[in-house]
Amino acid sequence: MRSLILDTTTRFLMGLLLMFSVFLLLRGHNLPGGGFTGGLVAASAFALLAMSAGPQTARERLVVDPATLIGVGLLIVLASGLWGSLYGLPFLTGLWGKDSLPVIGDPGTPLLFDLGVYVVVMGISLLIIFNLAEEEGV
Amino acid sequence: MTEGIIVSGLAAIFLAALTAPLAFRGLGGRLGPILGLVPLAVFVAFATLVPKVASGTAHREMFSWVPSLGISLSFYVDGLSLLFLLVIAGVGTLIVWYASGYLHGDRGLGRFYLYLLSFMGAMLGLVAADNLILLFIFWELTSITSYLLIGYYQEKEKSRAAALQALLVTGGGGLAMMAGFILLGRMAGTYEISALLTLPPGSLSGHPLFPAALILILLGAFTKSAQFPFHFWLPNAMEAPAPVSAFLHSATMVKAGVFLLARLHPVLADHALWVAIVAPVGAMTMCVGVFLGLGKRDLKQILAYTTLSVLGTLTLLLGLGTSLAVKACMVYFLAHALYKAALFMTAGSVDHETGTRNVEDLGGLRHKMPLTAAAALVAALSMAGIPLLLGFVSKEYFYKALLDADGPPYLWEVLGVGASMVMLALAVLAGIKPYWGAARKTPKPAHEVPWSMAIGPILLGACAIGFGIFPGWPGDFLVGPAVAAVQASSAPVARLALWHGWNTALFLSLITVVGGVLVLRVSAKVRVAEGFYRFLASIGPERVYTLGLAGLLRVGSWQTRVLQNGYLRNYILVTGGFAVLLLVVCLPDVPFRLDFSRMVPPTVLGVSSCVLIVAASVVVCLAQTRFFAIVALGVVGLGIAILFFLFSAPDLAMTQILVEALTIVLFVLAFYKLPLMQHRSSVATRWRDAVLSIVFGGVMAAMAMIAFHFEFFQPSISHYMGENSYPLAHGRNVVNVILVDFRALDTLGEVTVLAIAALGIFAMLKFRRSDKEKPQS
Repeated sequence: MRSLILDTTTRFLMGLLLMFSVFLLLRGHNLPGGGFTGGLVAASAFALLAMSAGPQTARERLVVDPATLIGVGLLIVLASGLWGSLYGLPFLTGLWGKDSLPVIGDPGTPLLFDLGVYVVVMGISLLIIFNLAEEEGV
Repeated sequence: MTEGIIVSGLAAIFLAALTAPLAFRGLGGRLGPILGLVPLAVFVAFATLVPKVASGTAHREMFSWVPSLGISLSFYVDGLSLLFLLVIAGVGTLIVWYASGYLHGDRGLGRFYLYLLSFMGAMLGLVAADNLILLFIFWELTSITSYLLIGYYQEKEKSRAAALQALLVTGGGGLAMMAGFILLGRMAGTYEISALLTLPPGSLSGHPLFPAALILILLGAFTKSAQFPFHFWLPNAMEAPAPVSAFLHSATMVKAGVFLLARLHPVLADHALWVAIVAPVGAMTMCVGVFLGLGKRDLKQILAYTTLSVLGTLTLLLGLGTSLAVKACMVYFLAHALYKAALFMTAGSVDHETGTRNVEDLGGLRHKMPLTAAAALVAALSMAGIPLLLGFVSKEYFYKALLDADGPPYLWEVLGVGASMVMLALAVLAGIKPYWGAARKTPKPAHEVPWSMAIGPILLGACAIGFGIFPGWPGDFLVGPAVAAVQASSAPVARLALWHGWNTALFLSLITVVGGVLVLRVSAKVRVAEGFYRFLASIGPERVYTLGLAGLLRVGSWQTRVLQNGYLRNYILVTGGFAVLLLVVCLPDVPFRLDFSRMVPPTVLGVSSCVLIVAASVVVCLAQTRFFAIVALGVVGLGIAILFFLFSAPDLAMTQILVEALTIVLFVLAFYKLPLMQHRSSVATRWRDAVLSIVFGGVMAAMAMIAFHFEFFQPSISHYMGENSYPLAHGRNVVNVILVDFRALDTLGEVTVLAIAALGIFAMLKFRRSDKEKPQS
């Protein structure tokens, strides 16, 4: 069953939610937000689409399989940890660039780590939501 | 010049292992001959260390790894290690070539090379390691790779069972060994073997924990080297392809236990327990091996049991521990590695070309397979201890060591000569009988093997002859330095010689040959006594293994039935009940005081959200429809989010609201698929649940209040993190800094767990779906 109201609002909300999720991710180091909340917001954007247009459409719009997102996210997290190892530092040592950026603050490996968390959380939520939504009724 | 040679060698082997599956896709059958060049190069590289090590200087390499635990990537190559390194890399090269012929056309060859070369790398690392923990890691890696290799024919149930048995027995022993290593390291204050070897003699053996460490380490060595009563896994492991048996079960892996005994000989051997355990266990294995081997007809089984016997012999010699015995052990090790690897390869060739390994069905193959027959003949004569071959030299030293040893008069000599007689008979049976005499009809028409399968046995046979006629060369460069290393002395070792004059040892050799021929004549009758051997197997130690494994599985399924019964409410009940129990036991010891002095004055919003939470919780419990319950639960969650906001935790509040929202989405998705809500539990159960819930909540609240009064660190952790968040981690949001920087390892673990949980849910949903689809299809 399609609802015109839900369809229309989803079209506007999708973009806003996704932008907001990135905003949350980027400001997280200095102000409330972060990868976890950002990932949840991004997941809710696609969950909204899955509810209005069906999980198949949401999957197509996401392009990447949620399971792939989980793997990629874990790899990003791992890479941020291994970055320091290139310089002979212990695993997960934080490294920062020299210049400061607006909103983000100092970009460094913790931001990469948070990006990984964002992707993993998004992948996990969507993996469960899509599969539940595709479940046939009992 | 030689700097970093060990590390580079290991890296080359592991790299070749990892690239083998990919290279196989491109190169196919041409991969094997090329791949064999890697261990060959490593062999040559290691051989350049011979002059340095033979002159008495150990080669060392050291890289820091986990300095806080005393674990380092350190390598120490003295005569003992070098002897093993060269045997492993040398035989390994031949095995890689042999496998390319033996498994020709097998689609899994890339995977096979991955396992085989990984094993080789692990084995090389094991014998070169200077650090006990590093040695243990390589040790377990050999167990795991041998599991994969034994189970290579994964579609065969027998080979899977044999692989599991080998893994459980040797892996279990490995764990005991690790405990022994840790005890040893604690006593000595170092995990470096080179440092242990330079301790003054007797400095550890007086320690009260020494016997425990000794027994644990012996357990590791005995399981790996298949000593009685752990011997049963080795014959079963013959399910593996022939190259694996030739490599792991003759020349390398099973010798790891012997290597460990030799390596730690200077540290462990001056305790009475060593003498009391090692020599008798070795003698027992030596005799059990040949005795059980007599009852076999399968070529590989016969060879496996004689390998057991040789492992027993080597252990016995190390148990005796005299200078002569150690020398005999090292010569015997080299001789056995050469002839047994050759015999396993020729046995594999026979199986490959004729389709049978049954000794009784084989004969006269020398016309069809002349190269194989010649190599097998040389190897078998070496195994039988016939003069002009290295096996003769090793047996002479073996007898001299037995004559020289302390202990009950004549016991060692009688056992040693007896075992050697049977060994001679079995050598003829496995290495000569299939090729000589009248030709028999075989399942496949026999013909000679390709060069890849012939070169190994031929080169090994040539070594057996060359070293046998001129024992001085391997004696000076390989065996001598190894003996010096085992005895931790730099005293010169007498040269190896072929001829020792007319002495008792030579006389014993003559008796052995005569007796061996007699054993051979009666062996056909012994092999008829199948029932007797089956009876022995039914009461042997393998029965203990079988019963133990079955018992373990039964306990596992019982406790899964009880604890993991699939009802969410039971999980919550068990978890909550157990938490309450633990806390009730522990909390009374802690001073409990309620201190309201630091309490924040209540606000209208705070109190009203508390009331809201409590009221909504009551509604959840009393709700008659699921929809109502879900909405009420949502109210509880939002109430908690408000509390988070009030106590200035915006991050938590935000997360809480988002999680609530997504939970609602999940509920909505699952909503229509759930059956109607019914009260399935009885009134008594509901009362029990209510009581437990209230007690659990109360205990948690009490714990929170108690924890409030404790400052475990001065200044507190939260204070530290608040202070250092910006200077150290460039972030002002402490919560986020903790998550992604200060405690990033925790977060890494958490997201990994989440990912696994999501995959579990995914699997559960898919599983249910395919379950439903089954009846329709």
